[in-house]
Amino acid sequence: MKKEFLYIFLISFSLNTFSQNGIKIDFRVAIKDIPIVLNDSTYLLDNAKTVHFTTLKFYMSSLMFLHDDKIVFTEPNSFHLIDLSDTNSQNILLKFSKAFSYNKIRFNIGIDSITNVSGARGGDLDPTKGMYWTWNSGYINCKIEGDYGLDTNPKQNFEFHLGGYQYPFSALQTVELSLKNTSNISLILDLNKFFEQLDLSKQKNILSPCMQAVNFSQQLIKCFILK
Amino acid sequence: MFHLKMKKFAIIGLFFLLSAFIMQGSLFTVPENFPPPIYDFSKNQLTESKILIGRMLFYDPILSKDNTISCENCHSPFSAFTHIDHALSHGIHDSIGTRNSPALMNLAWQQTFMWDGAVNNLDMQALAPIAHPAEMGSNIKEVVEKLNASSKYRPLFYTAYKDSIITGENVLKSISQFMLTLVSANSKYDKVMLNKAKFTEKEANGYLLFKRKCASCHTEPLFTNGQFENNGLPIDSFLKDIGRMKITTRANDSLKFKVPSLRNIEFSYPYMHDGRFKNLSEVLNHYSHGIHQSRTLSSELKNGITLSANEKVDIINFLLTLSDKAFVFNPKFQYPK
Repeated sequence: MKKEFLYIFLISFSLNTFSQNGIKIDFRVAIKDIPIVLNDSTYLLDNAKTVHFTTLKFYMSSLMFLHDDKIVFTEPNSFHLIDLSDTNSQNILLKFSKAFSYNKIRFNIGIDSITNVSGARGGDLDPTKGMYWTWNSGYINCKIEGDYGLDTNPKQNFEFHLGGYQYPFSALQTVELSLKNTSNISLILDLNKFFEQLDLSKQKNILSPCMQAVNFSQQLIKCFILK
Repeated sequence: MFHLKMKKFAIIGLFFLLSAFIMQGSLFTVPENFPPPIYDFSKNQLTESKILIGRMLFYDPILSKDNTISCENCHSPFSAFTHIDHALSHGIHDSIGTRNSPALMNLAWQQTFMWDGAVNNLDMQALAPIAHPAEMGSNIKEVVEKLNASSKYRPLFYTAYKDSIITGENVLKSISQFMLTLVSANSKYDKVMLNKAKFTEKEANGYLLFKRKCASCHTEPLFTNGQFENNGLPIDSFLKDIGRMKITTRANDSLKFKVPSLRNIEFSYPYMHDGRFKNLSEVLNHYSHGIHQSRTLSSELKNGITLSANEKVDIINFLLTLSDKAFVFNPKFQYPK
């Protein structure tokens, strides 16, 4: 009897660890339900305006999982550049040796201030990725570029380079979402809400750390939803 | 047996650590009269091969869009790594920049870079001239692509970094490595401080005056306090350079520029962020009776600096003791043959 218990325990334990030692996060950027494709379609916003995208990339960093507000997993060296022109960058595979259960995911959009002042870094933080300001040191947390308009042929160019790590223009934002224990997480950044609130006749470009960049970054993180 | 093996590994490991430490020591020494450096060497440990790559890149116009401009164009060793006789820096297609290229030395002790402190870490400094349209007009991605296609650089990077692909990180770190070796601490002033030489009477008097009238900003031993100050220069109506305010957007930073080191000042003319003064007499005349009053003017300069003609001569005599010929003629810093 004892032996059988042990077997059951071992089997369930091993199954548990095998099924739990990986989490896949899949990022999608969309306008409502329609995934955004760069340099392709024009998307209709709820406010009847139209938008077309040429660049869309942002940093996700400091990824962690929580269970009842207690941190149960922190990804080491957690810096991911999600770039719509590179489909591989939209899938993140987390691996860990010890299983855990969670009911919340937390991550930053952007790069923390310490990393911003710590000199040259590699991987997704390499300045060749085009996400670093050369005239005023610091990472660009998020780049959204494209055209905006009233019909199927939007012509008004916009460029948002959101970043800045120094007071009072720190643009780093934290996203926290509740979810069920799953090994497949689907995160969607729905930009409909983001663009609806903007008056692009007044604000076409943001290219340096400023209050507007902070406000835009705060708006942006409200657009993350789980599917 | 197991323990013996572990011991062996530990001893070998210790040996490697120790040898790395000794290597670093011989490649970069903190001068006796200097404070500890600011640069974090633990993230970019100096090696001979990495310094050499940095030195080669420094002298190589491959960093510019059309392969015509190298760092050395505006930072030549014989002028303490600045561009003498040119008030403003030059770039590709004969373009002219908006500021006087700063002299390069003792960069390991510098917190921020550029006249307005735009750059927060030595590693990131090179990105600015590489990308500036009036300097090198390129970008780090393009540079890295060119280097990866170069049969000269690929093996050098492989030897230094054990990576068959050249990355932006390693290019920038190599440039930092060479920059970090540019230590100037062998002037007559340094020898006097270490009791290995004596000032002349004029130099000694100049030093006393300097300590009283200049040292609050040009603080020893680096001869800068690393801060940003408005030193009373009337704004150039053509360049309209607001200095530090461009970076911080704070009105209190208007017309403030980084206090430059005065080491090797004999070699690094012309002076000021826009190179408006050709010689040291003009500089001292500015401080004694040329101060332009404005809201952000450094409080030390509200009434100018009172200096007699003789005192100016003595201060200049002292400033010339900051010349370090061993530095400007150091063969290790010259064009790599």
